[in-house]
Amino acid sequence: MSARRVNRRVRLLVAVFTLAFGVVLVRAGWLQAVQSGPLDRLAASQQREAITIPAHRGTIYDRTGVELAIGERAITVYANPQQIMNPRAVALAVGRTLGTDPAAVLEQLSDRSKGFVYVARKADAVKAESLRRQEIVGLGFYPEERRSYPLGTVASEIVGYAGVDNRGLAGLELGLDKLLGGSDGKKTIVRDPFGHRLDTVDAEDAADGRDLRLTIDNTLQRQVERVLEATRERWNAKAATAVVLDPKTGGILAMGVEPGFDANDFPKASRDVQRNRAVTDTYEPGSTFKVVTLSAVLETGMVTPTDTYTLPYEIRVSDRVIHDAVPRGTETMSVAEILSQSSNVGVITLALGLGREKLSEWIDRFGFGHETGIEYPGETPGIVVPPEQWSGSTIGNVPIGHGIAVTPLQMARVYGAIANGGVAIQPHLVERVEGKGAVGPARKRVISTRVSKQLTAMLRGVVEDGSGVEAQVPGYFVAGKTGTAAKPDPVYGGYSKTAYVGSFVGFAPARNPRVVVLVTVDEPRGTIWGGTVAAPAFRDIMRFALQYLQVPPDVPEEAGSAAE
Amino acid sequence: MAVRVEPRRQAAPLAAEVAAVVRNLDYVLVAAVAALVGYGLWVLSSVSRNDVPGDPDFFVFRQSVNVALGTIGLAVVTYVNPDFYRRVRKPLYLGLIVALVVVFVFAEAVRGTRRWIDIGFFQLQPSELGKVVVILVLASFLAEFARRIGEWRTTLTAVGLVALPGTLVFFQPDFGTAIIYAVVVAAGLFVAGTRWTHLAGLAAAAAGLAVAVLWVLPSAGLQVLRPYQVERLTGFLNPDLDPSGATYNVTQSITAVGSGGLDGRGVAGATQTNMNYLPEHTTDFIFSALAEQRGFLGAALLLLLYAIVVWRGVKTIALAPSLHGAVIAAACVAALAFQVFVNIGMTIGIAPVTGIPLPFVSYGGSSMIASFALIGLLQAVHVRGRLAGRS
Repeated sequence: MSARRVNRRVRLLVAVFTLAFGVVLVRAGWLQAVQSGPLDRLAASQQREAITIPAHRGTIYDRTGVELAIGERAITVYANPQQIMNPRAVALAVGRTLGTDPAAVLEQLSDRSKGFVYVARKADAVKAESLRRQEIVGLGFYPEERRSYPLGTVASEIVGYAGVDNRGLAGLELGLDKLLGGSDGKKTIVRDPFGHRLDTVDAEDAADGRDLRLTIDNTLQRQVERVLEATRERWNAKAATAVVLDPKTGGILAMGVEPGFDANDFPKASRDVQRNRAVTDTYEPGSTFKVVTLSAVLETGMVTPTDTYTLPYEIRVSDRVIHDAVPRGTETMSVAEILSQSSNVGVITLALGLGREKLSEWIDRFGFGHETGIEYPGETPGIVVPPEQWSGSTIGNVPIGHGIAVTPLQMARVYGAIANGGVAIQPHLVERVEGKGAVGPARKRVISTRVSKQLTAMLRGVVEDGSGVEAQVPGYFVAGKTGTAAKPDPVYGGYSKTAYVGSFVGFAPARNPRVVVLVTVDEPRGTIWGGTVAAPAFRDIMRFALQYLQVPPDVPEEAGSAAE
Repeated sequence: MAVRVEPRRQAAPLAAEVAAVVRNLDYVLVAAVAALVGYGLWVLSSVSRNDVPGDPDFFVFRQSVNVALGTIGLAVVTYVNPDFYRRVRKPLYLGLIVALVVVFVFAEAVRGTRRWIDIGFFQLQPSELGKVVVILVLASFLAEFARRIGEWRTTLTAVGLVALPGTLVFFQPDFGTAIIYAVVVAAGLFVAGTRWTHLAGLAAAAAGLAVAVLWVLPSAGLQVLRPYQVERLTGFLNPDLDPSGATYNVTQSITAVGSGGLDGRGVAGATQTNMNYLPEHTTDFIFSALAEQRGFLGAALLLLLYAIVVWRGVKTIALAPSLHGAVIAAACVAALAFQVFVNIGMTIGIAPVTGIPLPFVSYGGSSMIASFALIGLLQAVHVRGRLAGRS
């Protein structure tokens, strides 16, 4: 072969080599210049892992220090199926240790397309710890908290609940989520290909949530719920609600709704039974509202309790005729008797003298149409028709508690003010937030001490020989008022002929009130009267509360009975 | 003057010959190889710093010993006239076959493969040194049959000569080295002047063999390669098929290369290497480690040094005093260039995973000594070519 032909083949060889080197150089340049950014991020993403350090969620205590909501230590077990050599053996080990179904675990672990699956969320800490000690490759663990409600159904509408991610979903857990939840910490760990931690960077500690101490007393709350349940069953009612208020502090000692639910099992409870109706729902207060009209006429000096009126059985207001509950002839009644006998005609007569503007001012002054400002989320302000929208007949409705929608809590607040010498105190559920100074609740004088005493005397008359005799508690003087109102008919408009809310609200001991109790019974069957359906529940709750709080009786037991 | 010269000539013919060799060395190649070896040691010392706790110099110290051994081999091979190998071709060939059979039958399996003979302080890998022997035997044969180069018989005998040791290596299994044997025979035949039709026939046969081994025979139930080998060989065609499985190494390697960027992440910042995401980063994937630490600039410098070596090698083919020398030079340069291309190509995802080390840079004694021997052969051919050209 000639040298020229050899040289030709050598040149061909050079061309091949040049091409090969060129390809390598171009490819390296492509990766390192053009693709550098994405590949850099790819490297970082597999080497680093952001981990959330969950903040401890604050505990909720009742006023006596009993736990209503606690965070239990739990461990979440996860797995990287791609690292698990023998899914069957691992699934069996997991099932044996955690007590879960191995078949379900096996299905998860067999999915090699995933790099992360949950094996068990918030598993029992002790069991998970023993699983961790088995050092199974491909399993991972991180601590979490599992929210638990030791008292179950008790106070569940108040406390609410937090979900699986430990954030509040309902009740105070939702309303005070920021305080309770704190803020999670973060850290970024650097790990090797086998998942071992090499280093920690950018660590930020978790700020734990704060503990709450409520004004609720679990014993009282339990009793309230028991009485409400019995009442609801007795009258085959749709629901029963109660508020127990300390008039001197504004603290809510108990707030019950029946039917209720177990906060530990909240996903199974319908939204309907989860509502804290005392705060989120309204009703027409009926006669219990008459104290507002009475307060206005007494406070403005228009009348005194002993002034008398001659009242027919019926009164015509605009196009409507309103009559008293019980048929009677024309009578002469004092202002005090108008309230204790719950005369619609009497109250409307007084209101007509007062006028719509003045009455509206007093309704506003008592806080109707405004949220009370309680910590509970989803509070409704109720519905109050402003005076400029009143029709001619409105002055015949509103003064006696019709055509106005209020919450049980608003109504309890009014009676709390009367019980507290005329000063309304912001109702509240949270006694103290751990680590924060106590802020006294807002106080507002609504009526004078004189009028509050006059009203108290009249309300005592209601219980002693008026419509509220069922509310009597032996040994104590009780002041209170019955209420009965037809519910608006959602289908036909106007008012229902069969659906009523019977209620009773009052306080005791009348001379030095310690407890305000309000009970509403929604759609009782058989009878509708507040004095019949709600007053006994009021009595049962009040009697228990007074004994439990060791309130000294006004009179010896025998004397109390004699006074009836 | 003559009186003074005479005794020196008699006393030191060896010294004179050495001097002649030294005078006619290819110093560009010397410098390029020296730079390559130095660069390789520096790279190895950087990438292996964290590999043995408490001993950052573990790998670089051992590699220095390999370099020393290789340099001795280089000196010897450079000095020996290539014509000598034509006389001892039969014992050489026989020795190689025996060594490979010994490895195949007796050597302990390391990670499922049998490649090493343990000779005390050193684990010899006969298949690596076999490259050199195969080149010498092939060159001797082709030089002898130069006049009958156009015959099929010559071509097939040459192929057969290399195929026997190549098959033994293939079944060790050391697929990568076996492929290098094939490249050696191809380069030798090409430069020796084998007809294009023969070359084309061989290429077609090789392609047919590859298809048969990779796809046809396995589907007929006959596994020539182990499944992991097939996955590696075909994996680079489909890198996203199973990123955690067969192509995991390549994916991590490409990630390392890319994250190095233009100027590298430095020794401390090369996390892919330091945290062991990049596997085998002192041997098969050392280029990726270099590219991560030193970036495109560091990688391009390495490629430049290889390019100089290949350039000098190609020049030596033309300078060779005989067909024998030309075949040696061509086979040496082809073997080196192929190793560089396939190794680096593997790390950047354009060549299959074959486990071929990077000459002068990958950690390993047999590979280092074999690479030095190839350079020694190039130098020997160069020296004889220049001496012959002068006389």
